[in-house]
Amino acid sequence: MITKLLTKRYPGMRAWLMQRLTALIMAVYSVILFIRILVLQPDSYEAFLGFFQPSWFRIANWLFWISLSIHAWLGIRDVFKDYVPNMQVRSILLKILVVLLWVYIAWASWMFLSKQAA
Amino acid sequence: MQENETQSSCHCKAKTRPKNLNLFTIRLPINALVSILHRATGCILFLVLPIILLLLQLALSSAVHFEMVVSILDSPFIKLMLLGLAWAFFHHFFAGVRHLAMDVHWMTTLMKARYTSKVVLVLGVLATLVLAVKLWA
Repeated sequence: MITKLLTKRYPGMRAWLMQRLTALIMAVYSVILFIRILVLQPDSYEAFLGFFQPSWFRIANWLFWISLSIHAWLGIRDVFKDYVPNMQVRSILLKILVVLLWVYIAWASWMFLSKQAA
Repeated sequence: MQENETQSSCHCKAKTRPKNLNLFTIRLPINALVSILHRATGCILFLVLPIILLLLQLALSSAVHFEMVVSILDSPFIKLMLLGLAWAFFHHFFAGVRHLAMDVHWMTTLMKARYTSKVVLVLGVLATLVLAVKLWA
């Protein structure tokens, strides 16, 4: 039943599930981030760099950003579907949204994954 | 178009049909309030993404830039904006957790849903207040 609902025939179900999965990932990340800030209290540049140094945390940041992008895509797309009835305007807005999200992903990936960034 | 409008009387009637678009006359039930705030805060959070990336980029790039970012975030007006943004995050977070809970069939009756809506609103404000104390104390 569930596997049938997740095939390409029911894209809405996939979107629904992705929205929830990415939400879960971001919720867990947010809790970890808050605890990490409270424990480490990075108040100097060195401490701040150290805060972003561990590779597990960089990967967590990156995973968070990918989840955020998918989540924002589905969420803002729904907002456009609800409030922008003009199909031409909507498709332009959706294209701008896609470009923006990809630019953010590239930026975040460079920041979190490259060595010279931090 | 112009011709059609002058010819048919139906169009004239349609024009005088009352529209109730005054948002202030609509009293939202608490569940609807939490729902629309979830959407609104989601949009706000999306709009500030580039600012967050930019600040993070600056803060990571050098000690001088780090101090610059700290001094920017330390000004009273920006602090207030930060607090508003923090509320947006907290509300979106708690309302989202509520959605996830309902997806697995927790708290789905009307009375329970109203109760959890209140809890979400209170938690969002409470978390923001705690942060406010942290920022100003």
